[in-house]
Amino acid sequence: MPKITVAPQGITVDLNEGETILEGLVRHGYAYRIGCRRGGCAICKVDLLEGVVSYNRPVADTVLTDDERSTGACLSCRAVPETDITIALREDNLRRVASLMAMYAATRTG
Amino acid sequence: MAVMRMGYMHVRVTDLAEAKQHYANTVGLYQTLEQDGKVYYKGWDEWDHHSVVIEEGGVGYVKCGFKCETPEDVADIERKAVAFGYPVARMAAGENPEVGDGIRVTLPSNHEIEFYSSMTAWGLEVGTHNPDAFPRHMVGIGAPRLDHALLWVDDVGGIEKFFMDCTGMWPTERVRASLDDDAHTIATWLTIGESNHDIALLEAPENKIHHFAFEMRGWSDILHAADIFAMDDTPIDIGPTRHGITRGTTIYFFDPSGNRNETFSGGYRCFRDRPVVTWTPDQLGKAIFYHSRELNDRFLTVAT
Repeated sequence: MPKITVAPQGITVDLNEGETILEGLVRHGYAYRIGCRRGGCAICKVDLLEGVVSYNRPVADTVLTDDERSTGACLSCRAVPETDITIALREDNLRRVASLMAMYAATRTG
Repeated sequence: MAVMRMGYMHVRVTDLAEAKQHYANTVGLYQTLEQDGKVYYKGWDEWDHHSVVIEEGGVGYVKCGFKCETPEDVADIERKAVAFGYPVARMAAGENPEVGDGIRVTLPSNHEIEFYSSMTAWGLEVGTHNPDAFPRHMVGIGAPRLDHALLWVDDVGGIEKFFMDCTGMWPTERVRASLDDDAHTIATWLTIGESNHDIALLEAPENKIHHFAFEMRGWSDILHAADIFAMDDTPIDIGPTRHGITRGTTIYFFDPSGNRNETFSGGYRCFRDRPVVTWTPDQLGKAIFYHSRELNDRFLTVAT
């Protein structure tokens, strides 16, 4: 289970295999600025400071260019961590909005 | 000038298979053609060959087309658009499958807008002989027809004037910087007289499409649509709720590529002599999301 750490807050959560950054953070009861959740609007871009991600869908060049990818920009709604990763949000902080989800995040419900 | 309606919307989708699932099974459109990486759809209450075109590769706006009554109407718009000063090109019959001759105008925002007068007739799903009220086996949300689109543009006032001077549309509602007569126009909703708006323009730093909308039969269909979105895991931006602007009821949702769609219903009768409604920026929450009276993160930031 890959770990994701969100800098600079230092929050770390475990992701399930195949889960995107967005899915994982939401499952742990966090919120941050997101848009279409489908890789088209580029609002959920974060910076990948450490680790490797892959994408579970085609991502348009206009949304995430090769240059951006090489400098660490990452589309969090479509990115699946391949290793433990550290990300930084852009002009945003994680908000804990669902403490119950956080408490029970480790429970698999199917 | 006799523009009748927005006839088609053409957008890019990153994954064609997932987009087909969305537009056919969730939105409930009927596929009429698949060719050259593009798929063509129509709603059950439309009679022309297609109203939505999806093209594989990338995301966002390609173009839209407005249907006019006659070739003379298109020629009239051509003359006016040329005089107005926007780039105008001729469009040959068949450049778009099943669409006749027309023109293509390029707005200063780089959006291409086509005008045409004929498209292959396909037929209404319920037919025209002693028809039933709706198709017995509607799919997904059962979207009957394409209604309008909202484009992000840099020059709302200028492009609004183009549509008014060259196509005969007029504004039903606007967002303006203040209630002064000469206040800067931030957004406008334009109609040709049937829908509450056929095209809307919103001032934004990038030239994109904010959404395109399907007209639904009423509030209960809007609720039903939201239930289908839950079942189909379709992300909802907001809704079901009501817009202050147009009074229409709405859900904004996203296709699998992130293009925003809308299910829209209601509004009011539009006549040329109805006074224009003005909204001010301090009331934008009420204008866009009438019930909550608050904007969300996404309305002014997400476009494709």
